[in-house]
Amino acid sequence: MTGLPIDAAGERATAAANHGGHGGHGGHGGYNLTGFIIFLCSESVIFLALFAGYINFKLSSPVWLPPGVSGLEVREPLINTIILVSSSFVAWAAERALAQRRLWRFRALWLLTMAMGSWFVYGQAVEWAHLHFGLGDGVFGGTFYLLTGFHGLHVITGILLMALMLARSFRPGNYDGGEAGVISVSLFWHFVDVIWIVLFLLLYAWQP
Amino acid sequence: MASSSVPFDPRVLKAPHPVPGAPDNWKRFFSFNTDAKVIGIQYMAVALLFLLVGGLLAMIMRGELITPAADLVDPTVYNGLYTMHGTVMLFLFLFPILNGFNNLLIPPMIGAPDMAFPKLNAAAFWLFPLFGIILMASFFVPGGPSGSGWWAYPPVSTQNPLGHFINGQFLWILAVALSGVSSIMGAINFITTIIRMRAPGMTYFRLPIFCWTAAAAQTIQLVGLPVLTGGAVMLLFDLSFGTSFFRPEGGGDPMLYQHFFWFYSHPAVYVMVLPVFGIFSELFPVYARKPLFGYKVVAIASFAITFLSLIVWVHHMFYSGTPQWMRNLFMVTTMLIAVPTGIKVFAWLGTLWRGRIRLSTPMLFCLGGLFNFIFAGITGIMLATVPVDIHVGNTYFVVGHFHYVIFSTITFGVFAGIYHWFPKFTGRMYYEGLGKLHFVLTFIGSTLNFLPMHWAGLMGMPRRVASYDPEFALANVLASLGAFLLGVATIPFILNIVSSWARGPKAGPNPWQAIGLEWLLPSPPPAENFEDDVPTVISGPYGYGLGHPLVEHEERYIARSREA
Amino acid sequence: MTPSPPAQARRFPLAALLLIALAVVADGAVSLWMARVSHLWLPVQASAAAPYVDDLFALETGIGSFIFLGCFAVMAWTLLFNRAPKYDMEDGDPIEGNLKLEITWTIIPLVIVMLIAAHAIRVNDTLATIGSKQRVLGGEQAMQVAGGGQGASAVAEEVGPIEVIARQWSWEFVYPDGTRSAELHLPVNQRARFKFISMDVLHGFYVPAFRLKQDLVPGSVIDYSLVPTREGRYRLRDSMFSGGYFSSNQTDVVVESADGFRRWLAEAARAPLQESPNPAQQLWQDRLAKGDKGWATVPPAPPPIVNVIHDSTAPHEG
Ligand code: HEA
Ligand code: HEA
Ligand code: CUA
Ligand SMILES: [Cu+2]
Repeated sequence: MTGLPIDAAGERATAAANHGGHGGHGGHGGYNLTGFIIFLCSESVIFLALFAGYINFKLSSPVWLPPGVSGLEVREPLINTIILVSSSFVAWAAERALAQRRLWRFRALWLLTMAMGSWFVYGQAVEWAHLHFGLGDGVFGGTFYLLTGFHGLHVITGILLMALMLARSFRPGNYDGGEAGVISVSLFWHFVDVIWIVLFLLLYAWQP
Repeated sequence: MASSSVPFDPRVLKAPHPVPGAPDNWKRFFSFNTDAKVIGIQYMAVALLFLLVGGLLAMIMRGELITPAADLVDPTVYNGLYTMHGTVMLFLFLFPILNGFNNLLIPPMIGAPDMAFPKLNAAAFWLFPLFGIILMASFFVPGGPSGSGWWAYPPVSTQNPLGHFINGQFLWILAVALSGVSSIMGAINFITTIIRMRAPGMTYFRLPIFCWTAAAAQTIQLVGLPVLTGGAVMLLFDLSFGTSFFRPEGGGDPMLYQHFFWFYSHPAVYVMVLPVFGIFSELFPVYARKPLFGYKVVAIASFAITFLSLIVWVHHMFYSGTPQWMRNLFMVTTMLIAVPTGIKVFAWLGTLWRGRIRLSTPMLFCLGGLFNFIFAGITGIMLATVPVDIHVGNTYFVVGHFHYVIFSTITFGVFAGIYHWFPKFTGRMYYEGLGKLHFVLTFIGSTLNFLPMHWAGLMGMPRRVASYDPEFALANVLASLGAFLLGVATIPFILNIVSSWARGPKAGPNPWQAIGLEWLLPSPPPAENFEDDVPTVISGPYGYGLGHPLVEHEERYIARSREA
Repeated sequence: MTPSPPAQARRFPLAALLLIALAVVADGAVSLWMARVSHLWLPVQASAAAPYVDDLFALETGIGSFIFLGCFAVMAWTLLFNRAPKYDMEDGDPIEGNLKLEITWTIIPLVIVMLIAAHAIRVNDTLATIGSKQRVLGGEQAMQVAGGGQGASAVAEEVGPIEVIARQWSWEFVYPDGTRSAELHLPVNQRARFKFISMDVLHGFYVPAFRLKQDLVPGSVIDYSLVPTREGRYRLRDSMFSGGYFSSNQTDVVVESADGFRRWLAEAARAPLQESPNPAQQLWQDRLAKGDKGWATVPPAPPPIVNVIHDSTAPHEG
């Protein structure tokens, strides 16, 4: 070892794996999870901010519901909510299946999670299509669409990420270095679910 | 100091990885390179260019303000100029240049080969020229750039006089949002790197203070930026898609935006100042030849500042219709910040005390910066006092206060850092004479520029005005002269950097006899720093005069750094 | 933080102690002088709030000067006496910290700032300028809400509520009897009550001689009050950036004796309504005449129609 780059050149990957000895960390997969958790913490603050904005408007706006609107329909969204929340448990089961190296079981459960998520997005789209107010109808309209839309975007992102993980599960040897990707995505999915529960309470349960 | 006739090991030139400083390798600065040291230099170079742009805008503004009437430019143009000046300086100069320091310093200081996520790092960097161009493009859209101040308070910011979809304000929001995305990517990277990639033996309480302050600052980014992003998205919807979050006619509330904005933008000032506290803490021990006084407390005080910075934002809104109890509460929290900050200031003074002080250029900038910071902190405490702020808020007193921090402290610290680590990352020494000239001109210029502003503000001159009553003329003439002197002061700086990099004397691995992992590396350090042969740290940083080595087998590393 | 060698602490020489005492006394004297001088940096005091604000400012100037000079003295001392000679590569004393000292300089600033804060809270309670705030849907509704309490000045020694209406870029004042003016007239030594209304964007009501400022927030009607204490004509400046011609959005406050004010109001009530010229309007016309160059701005709102216009040529103090 001379300390010149030429010695490690080309074998970055090996070098990285060898790093496991110092600093007390094992492999770079661990970084990914650390980084992802930090990201989720940060992401949750955006939602916190939007919730705070919503609560502020709800409590202090001189007008709330746009003329002709009496409130939100709760039944359909409630069913949707139940589906989304239960999908979290399915994702968890999938993750466990993977840990036990039962790949096909993992793929099936993972696909089921994706399907439940998609059903939720579909239900959301149907709801949007039938509402009698728009984005520009006062703060109520604005916050409603902003919150549900921003959350919906996260659900769609989650589904796409799951699709990516599903595709990668067919790559031989993909999980030899651990399944950080799957763990991260399912963390993300739980996160999206928890956010929805709060959203549901704020938007649908807490009505005038 | 070993300086062989061949500057680089010939094998280096064939290495597949770019080597900082290798003569044939300048092209890497223009490519999607994932090496933190290349990215660091990219950040710094582009940021310094934008310092010139922001400074040029300031020169025009000071030209306008040298006479009471609005005679140089139309008032609407003046509004655009100061908005863009503030935005360019903060988002295109200060944040990026500090990210440059993070990239250059964090991996070598902790003994890591690179950042935890090199690709993410490069992506975060390349967003920067992108949003830089977007912001600059706003000068050329119909109606000109945003002219609503860097706060972009609605309803002014959502008035959109020409009604175009693409307008200056729209591009402004886009640029700021992208800057936020880039900063979050950076923050995740820096924090993960510091947590996970430290050399063996490098415990948290052996980390150099710069890493502590970087971590403290980046934590603020993670907590604060999302809130600003939320506010910016709502502002964009109000501006472009007809919502009424901040429009009273639809039940919205312009005050809510102010809370969103300051929840981030107050802590943001500590994002900017904390790394500079780090630079001070690194440099004072080197040039006073003494250990940092009270290392542990200084380290912890960084996070005390992080925590407090998140609960003081309403001090920017004392006169906005904030109820009395809220004013009192936030006055108290704001004042508490003087405590951890004071700990740092006194620790630096303690470090100087009975040292063996060497007045090289970096030290001069540190001392000047510290001197100005104490002044700025005291005016900050005055601003935190509600009754006083009610009088001087939104006047030039505030402009004076924050330029004393943002220019006379932070930019001084940035200059200090550039001079101090210049030999490390370029392998060349800068010219001391030019450096001292730069310091003297900058110190005189900034004092002349920003000190009279306090007086104008006390007399009641509002900020953001293109014209003013004649009683404020004297203060403004002085300030303008100081500003022009600052413009002149950039000449020796640019001259120094460019010519020393091209043909300055070879620097050797450790020209300052400094203690720290980065100084055990050759100058410039090889692409992966210590690679696999990472030293084991056995003592805390700043062991000046203590006589114990920093790492195991220190002589071996020193010998090797000279060899290269 | 290993404590510094105790032997050193014991041998602390008397001469050094004297020197420090002398320095502290000198520092104190200079700071006291700075606190006195600080009054000269401020405009005339024309409201009940002004003396409180100025005294608080002087107090902070004094404390601030003391800290600043103290720190500066340490820096100057080290620069004079602790410089390394040229080519000297020695290290300094390896002092790593001193717990007692560190605790001291944590607690003393804490005590100082908390005392300042406590004092400032008392001043706040004394001044009590800002009243309640009512949310409304924009300018029209604000006018109705503010107009509701008109004519009913509850306490004898008070005037008001006077509606303060800000627009891009003009000021209008409506007195309880319905009289309108473009410059604000107030009787001296009486509490004046206001309703702050903005018709478009944020504006700031700022009278430096009063040391008071309050934003006018669209979508809110804000109650405000103050007591002018000195006769004269003072500048009222828009302090919250309000767009294009923000800098010319200024008018005057005229503080008169109670009799003077009554006479002025009676005369004003009889004066015919007329358009009050304002500088923003003028600048806008000039700009249009020159081909509308410059960056985008909304056009100025139509000038207010008032009984008394603003005389921008009259000399003002502060
Ligand atoms: C960039 C860095 C930066 C830093 C570090 C600070 C530091 C501080 N700032 Fe400043 N501030 C800004 C940048 C900064 N500020 C900017 C950009 C604005 C305006 C934004 C805009 O409006 O556009 C602003 C505006 C601003 C306001 C709003 C004014 C207004 O708009 O009306 C206030 C009010 O409280 C304030 C207070 C403070 C305080 C209390 C500190 C404290 O952190 C200072 C603490 C330090 C010390 C006190 C000195 C050292 C301590 C000692 C030596 C110990 C002993 C001291 C005592 C006992 C007092 N600042
Ligand atoms: C990092 C932040 C930063 C820095 C470094 C500066 C630096 C300077 N600022 Fe800055 N300023 C802000 C951040 C900063 N400012 C912010 C946030 C605001 C508030 C905006 C708002 O209210 O919304 C503000 C507002 C502001 C105002 C108040 C405007 C108003 O309220 O009406 C003024 C007025 O004098 C001013 C002046 C200056 C000057 C003279 C410098 C000098 O230090 C600049 C020195 C100049 C240089 C170092 C470069 C010189 C370059 C040349 C001479 C030409 C180069 C050539 C080419 C490009 C080809 N600034
Ligand atoms: Cu990879 Cu340490
Ligand atoms: Cu602040």
